[in-house]
Amino acid sequence: MKKLIKTDYLARVEGEGGVVIEITDGTVAKVHMRIFEAPRFFEAFLKGRPHQDVIDFTARICGICPVAYQMSSVHAIEKIFKVTVSPPVRELRRLLYCGEWIESHALHVYLLQGPDFYGLESAWAGREYLEIAKRGLRFKKLGNDILTMLGGRPVHPVSVRAGGFFSVPSRKALVPLLPELEKAFAESLQAIRWSASLDFGDPVVATEFISLGNTTEYPMNEGRVVSTMGLNASIEDFLASIQEYQVDYSTALHSGIKRQGTVSPYIVGPLSRLNLNHGKLPQEIRSAMNEAGISLPIANIRMAIIARVIEISYAFHEAMRIIRAYDEPDRPYEDFEPSGGVATWATEAPRGILIHRYELDDRGYVKGATIIPPTSQNLAHMEKMIYDFAVTRIGSQPDHLRKETEKIIRSYDPCISCSAHTVIIDRRNLSQD
Amino acid sequence: MKRPRIGVFKFTSCDGCQLSILNLEEELFDLLQIYDIAYFREALDRAPLKEYDIGIVEGSISTDRQKKEIVEIRERSRWLMSIGACATAGGLQALRNWSNVADYKRYVYPSPDLVSALPMSTPVSDHVYLDFELWGCPIDKAALAETLISLLAGKRPGVPVYSLCMDCKMKGIPCILVSRGEPCLGPVTRTGCGVLCPSLSRACYGCFGPREGANIDSLLVRFEELGMDRKEMVLLLDKMNTYAYRRVRLEKAD
Repeated sequence: MKKLIKTDYLARVEGEGGVVIEITDGTVAKVHMRIFEAPRFFEAFLKGRPHQDVIDFTARICGICPVAYQMSSVHAIEKIFKVTVSPPVRELRRLLYCGEWIESHALHVYLLQGPDFYGLESAWAGREYLEIAKRGLRFKKLGNDILTMLGGRPVHPVSVRAGGFFSVPSRKALVPLLPELEKAFAESLQAIRWSASLDFGDPVVATEFISLGNTTEYPMNEGRVVSTMGLNASIEDFLASIQEYQVDYSTALHSGIKRQGTVSPYIVGPLSRLNLNHGKLPQEIRSAMNEAGISLPIANIRMAIIARVIEISYAFHEAMRIIRAYDEPDRPYEDFEPSGGVATWATEAPRGILIHRYELDDRGYVKGATIIPPTSQNLAHMEKMIYDFAVTRIGSQPDHLRKETEKIIRSYDPCISCSAHTVIIDRRNLSQD
Repeated sequence: MKRPRIGVFKFTSCDGCQLSILNLEEELFDLLQIYDIAYFREALDRAPLKEYDIGIVEGSISTDRQKKEIVEIRERSRWLMSIGACATAGGLQALRNWSNVADYKRYVYPSPDLVSALPMSTPVSDHVYLDFELWGCPIDKAALAETLISLLAGKRPGVPVYSLCMDCKMKGIPCILVSRGEPCLGPVTRTGCGVLCPSLSRACYGCFGPREGANIDSLLVRFEELGMDRKEMVLLLDKMNTYAYRRVRLEKAD
């Protein structure tokens, strides 16, 4: 006998998706993450466009993490053009990313996932949650303020270009952000304690965590790809080692890492970054983590909210460091001549590794584009975790199983609008990198 | 008094415009004093209602399923507005309107037959009557707040429809087109962004779509004098509001 446990349209996640658990004769037969987000064909209409359009267009893949798309694309383009940005510009890009991590994580922690721990339908549904929600909105606003300062607006900022920025802020403009950041940083240390005190229920234990690493700083704009199973690869080699595949119930491609003849799922995102890079966090944050009783690595993906709060705190701290040390560059961008070539780059989007690969012609116009967002890398892992979880809960009430499944999915912070833009990789071309 | 109920609906989009509601931040709780956000999948886990006082639609119509859904949402909303370039103009994904969608599917998906997508991505107003439209990629959150407050007060929202140049002049920014000879879409584009690009020494790239009465062809003549070829000029207009700019040009030509 076949029974389906279904969520048609997931709430408090970004984009349109659902989940189906199929139970046949009392055993879990399969789990499908159904992505019905309409495809937008970014990789197709990028062909023939000038390089600046790549930066402006790919931002439009996601209204929550546009900077991630701008960063992965601008770095890939600069690699092709062989242009190196000045040290202050490099720091400003990191500051821009701090703004996005804060804004995106605060949205997820306080407005999307937070209500799950209080049994609420939304962040404004319960009086007891009001102060928590307000804290989240304060954090989020400060993240958005950083984005506005550097890019004009939080959603689809306009200042990023190859070689640097169209225009950079003066030191005088940035310094007034410091008192707010100091206050928020102090508050974020309390938030770390709050996140560790939440009731996580039975652990859901992840398999392989993957993030950028091999860097002296906590990774954002560059690094090699490392994992908790010993992976240490260049982005190009990593791209060659993952297998993408299409399934009939999703407009997002799935992916896994090829290993010993099988394709195994992995997880990217804040928990992966934290597990693989926690030694790079400042002492104040590590002390707060110790006091809160957080021990690393964290294998339970339900606890990803803790990693997000820690990263909010880190981004406040890092933003202050960058602003304090900031000296305006002589010019906002480096000059260059567009040229042809192929390049792959990855940066750490709020939700994990975002890989872009472009082939440009001699005038710097797009000949080919490949975009692999974090959420499509996580889909196969999500299905495996839900499968394993459902096996242990096979006798429970369908409604209970459905609600718990939704919570597990939410703890990944899936960005479904992003995930529906994966493109198949033509492996014959990869050797050119 | 019972608060009017708002439903927020998503079609083909990046979620950035509905995020503007949450980006109201401190004012979000003020908004919730006067409105009941009754349906908002991104932030609220609640089943749909039969009827809404105000419907807010993000995203373009690009699949068969959406064509049916938007009619249903119109029927259930007493007052309906679209927000953002996808909903008002078809969005970036309307670039497919000038290509073959079958080729696009083949390029992006290994099994293109599994993917359903209409040949064109179209604005919501092509499918149902709308009471109001807020342009922009993304919309300006202050304009959204202004619209919702005006609605309650029964007055016309103070959202300007004139060109970006007007506000750019008011800010005293040297004209990018005249002083630097760079192709700026300001003269044919609606204001509303806060003159972001010119403020950052960048030419306008048309996030807010064509202004009322835009004379695009005469601007293109100017671009030609700057040494641009026709293909380059088309690429400038073919962005988030491609469908709207092209329509305005066609209507002017008639």
